[in-house]
Amino acid sequence: MNTKSYFFQSFAIVALALIAFIGFKQILPDKIFSESKMNSKNVLIDSLLLEAVAKDSLGTNDSLDAIEDAEGKEEIVYENVEGIEFPSETFDNYKGYQYLISFYEKLYQLEKHPESNVRIAYYGDSMTDGDLIVQDVRTNYQERFGGNGVGFVPITSESAASRGSVKSTYSKNWKTQSYLNVKKPSSPFGVNGHVFFANDKANATWVQYEAGTNKFSTTLNNPTLFYGRASRSGKVNFIIGKDTLKKNLAPNNLINTLKVSSGHLKAFKANFVNADSIPIYGFNFDNGSGVHVDNFSQRGNSGLPISMFNANVMQGFNKSLKYDLIILHYGTNVLNYGTKNYNWYERGMTKTVNKIKESFPGVSILIVSTADKSTKYDLEMKTDSAVVPLMKAQKRYALDTESGFVNLYTLMGGDGSMVKWVDETPAKANKDYTHFNQRGAKAIGNLLYGQLNKGYEEYKILREKREAVANQQRAARKTKTDSTSVIKDSVNE
Amino acid sequence: MTTIDSINDWFIQNFGAITTEQVKSWFIYNPDEKLLFNTGLFLGLFLVFYFVYAFLRKTFYLRLTYVILFSLFFYYKSSGIYFLLLLLSSVVDYGLSQIIFKATKDSTKKIYLVISVILNLGLLGYFKYMNFMIVTFNDMFHGNYQLHDIFLPVGISFYTFQSMSYIIEIYREEIKPTKNYIEYLFFVSFFPQLVAGPIVRAKDFLPQIYQKLNLSRQDVNNALFLIIGGLIKKTVISNYISVNFVDRVFDTPLSYTSFENLMASYGYAIQIYCDFSGYSDMAIGIALLLGFKLPVNFRTPYKSTSITDFWRRWHISLSTWLKDFLYISMGGNREGSFAGYLFPSLFFFGLLLWGITSYNTSIIPLIVASVSILLFCLSFLLSSKKKQTLVTNLNLFTTMLLGGLWHGAGAQFIVWGALHGLALAIHKIFVEIFPSKKDKSPNFLWRFFSIVITFHFVVFCWIFFRARDFETALQVINNIGQLTFEPELWKTIVIGYKNVFGLMLFGYVWHFLPETFTNGMKSVFDKTPILVKAIILGFVYWIVYATAVAGSQPFIYFQF
Repeated sequence: MNTKSYFFQSFAIVALALIAFIGFKQILPDKIFSESKMNSKNVLIDSLLLEAVAKDSLGTNDSLDAIEDAEGKEEIVYENVEGIEFPSETFDNYKGYQYLISFYEKLYQLEKHPESNVRIAYYGDSMTDGDLIVQDVRTNYQERFGGNGVGFVPITSESAASRGSVKSTYSKNWKTQSYLNVKKPSSPFGVNGHVFFANDKANATWVQYEAGTNKFSTTLNNPTLFYGRASRSGKVNFIIGKDTLKKNLAPNNLINTLKVSSGHLKAFKANFVNADSIPIYGFNFDNGSGVHVDNFSQRGNSGLPISMFNANVMQGFNKSLKYDLIILHYGTNVLNYGTKNYNWYERGMTKTVNKIKESFPGVSILIVSTADKSTKYDLEMKTDSAVVPLMKAQKRYALDTESGFVNLYTLMGGDGSMVKWVDETPAKANKDYTHFNQRGAKAIGNLLYGQLNKGYEEYKILREKREAVANQQRAARKTKTDSTSVIKDSVNE
Repeated sequence: MTTIDSINDWFIQNFGAITTEQVKSWFIYNPDEKLLFNTGLFLGLFLVFYFVYAFLRKTFYLRLTYVILFSLFFYYKSSGIYFLLLLLSSVVDYGLSQIIFKATKDSTKKIYLVISVILNLGLLGYFKYMNFMIVTFNDMFHGNYQLHDIFLPVGISFYTFQSMSYIIEIYREEIKPTKNYIEYLFFVSFFPQLVAGPIVRAKDFLPQIYQKLNLSRQDVNNALFLIIGGLIKKTVISNYISVNFVDRVFDTPLSYTSFENLMASYGYAIQIYCDFSGYSDMAIGIALLLGFKLPVNFRTPYKSTSITDFWRRWHISLSTWLKDFLYISMGGNREGSFAGYLFPSLFFFGLLLWGITSYNTSIIPLIVASVSILLFCLSFLLSSKKKQTLVTNLNLFTTMLLGGLWHGAGAQFIVWGALHGLALAIHKIFVEIFPSKKDKSPNFLWRFFSIVITFHFVVFCWIFFRARDFETALQVINNIGQLTFEPELWKTIVIGYKNVFGLMLFGYVWHFLPETFTNGMKSVFDKTPILVKAIILGFVYWIVYATAVAGSQPFIYFQF
């Protein structure tokens, strides 16, 4: 046995293999496990998005960058609204506090009169599933301005199980129509984009709520059922502990409400009987004063389906719920289409924002941009090349529709931040390099609240300045009249 | 000139331009890029190292020093400045082992042994468990101690156990100490098994140092076969399914369907096997190329017909280490010890406390606690030799509890160890009551049934092992509990994750292939000429590369 040959032989094999590898690399494809497109039939994604993508020519505009650079430096100067004018800003740093004035004024009034209330609707995609992010925004507001309750909760949701701020369980026989994939619902969609029917005649159709453990939502405050118009009436039994309350549903108006109980419950169950044609929307939980934040999350949503809302129905909701701020937090679901030209999305979302304005007259609107998301380029996870173009498109429609804007991408750290959030210990985001975990969502919720609150503090300063100026003017006017009277007097003399 | 230019172009095209910055980065510690066996950098460095090694094969100290230097560099690349810790602990351990060997009185030997065990476990305890202990203390007594900013040096659990085996074996007079420090350091720092095992025993390894270095043709074949298998298991199967599926489900189990949770649990079982055994196989293969034989670490563990069988096939080097040095030291099946009573009592007390405190929200924890205690008691009460079985089971349970904790600092690892410990005790009493007939092998159906049961128990335990915390584990289990038979939905999910599920299937089929088949494959591989072997290895490199560059699958939410 000659040992020498085997050491060098094995070296030769390993070295030759390296050469073979280089050869294979040249003749074989770059990747295995291609990221094939899914058959979208079974995947939760909104149909308007798919249509918009299909329609879009996907033509990329080469000169886009140059235009954008110029656009970034462009100065945005605000018009004075009732004596308030936020300082001008550049497109790059656009936040648009000016467009949130009506919301800020309501907060200001709330601070003065703690019995009044402010309501926020937070529309989002899977990022806000299970009340992630939204519950942290809610807690921040309720901590500072008061208020108890989780807000409006739909009957069923794919993410109900993962929601800790309120626990809801429901029978499997609810018939649900979602704005995600239904264009012509049998009754109009509710404020969260869904409509539910209890049309199983054989079995009970029920939903059960139990208060969660979040700081200001440990009870179900004034639970109130929201339902729509139908030709036939129905019944509902509310089971609270050992008591059963039998109530009739009178579906006469576009939106009807029915109070389960005045006061705070720990849990209750609603059993719907003979309510087959009545559109059921959900329950609202709030204590009537302070800030309330509704979470209207929907997985797979791009935000476009909101443009299908029935404005009359929404106005009906608004009569009871009185929204002051609508937050639109979308983008995750439009990142994966291989396009960097988001003109089509800009157009679609402009329609959405206009629909919101029509539905909730006078409401302030806040656009939250896409967060950072990573994709593998060669061997490294990096910020997906579509993130920045999408974020810019979102900023553009925010500016064009006179909405406030939160740049979540820069807020969380900008380029490469998602990789950091995932790799950090303890991690703040999930291994899909897209979604935040509980810890990360809390951080995002705090960042978001932080920016909104910064605008509010600035508003208060501007408002005080206005008061001061007004007082001065009043004082000046007073002295002026005084002096004229003096003149008058002297004339009279 | 043109040829040089064209070679240069070709080089740049295939490897990219190499800057001094890059060359520097090859040799400097980067916490984000560990020097794993499946990286291109390791391959490059190893080729250069191995070429020189082949020339040094007839030398002794020169060769040992050369390997030590490479090993220290290898460790530096993984843990930075902490390679000094490895050096320091080896100097101390070597010194203590010399004292123990030379001491004449048994009491002196014992004192130094205790000192060495305390030092080693203290070091491991500080780096691995300090923060866990602080958190536990703060939780239990509402304390407010600051966490320490501790870096966990790679492989500290492995090399600590390895040095401990050396000292204990000297104390037990099973081996003689090495002639000098260099030989000892070679044993402790040997890079193939340094960071992730197998945990090599001094008595198996030291004799090999003194043998004439030899590498037979069969050794090369075995080594290459192990490396190829290891690369595929670790980089293709394990990495891909973890990043694209398993990690996501375990991050937020409630966002996924019951079926996805179930598949993620099966996925994790094959993932951890492929990851761990794949890396072990590569380590054994690389050591073999250097002329050293390391012990087998995994023998297709999911083919086990009982939980006892499982622990003879899973991470063998660890389970034998624990058996020889922990279980036997505590008294094994002969006598009880303080630790043997302490840890199980603490565990069952904690379990009962958990059951009682959560009684208001749910009665299930209390039932779980009572049933576990009852089962443990039955495991020795039903035995004909109650006293001895009690002692054995207590020591076994302690071994499994501490073995669980060895895998990581966290309550879920303790639970994992406890489940296995309880299962081992139950299996023992089962075998005592229903002894298998020695003369004939069990029938196929019974065998199949045993394998399925054992496998599912192991998968169940892995859920605790993988979950971020105890609560997440319960979420996964709860979610799987709600599984209903919906073939249409399952089909949709399987199609959605076809790459992942395809790889999982491949992993399981490979695992359950009859041994005759894998041996057949091996003998075909052995007979191929060198060039073909090189091409096969090169193709595997390519597969590793192409999987590594494959983008991660975008997230999918199914509608149901």
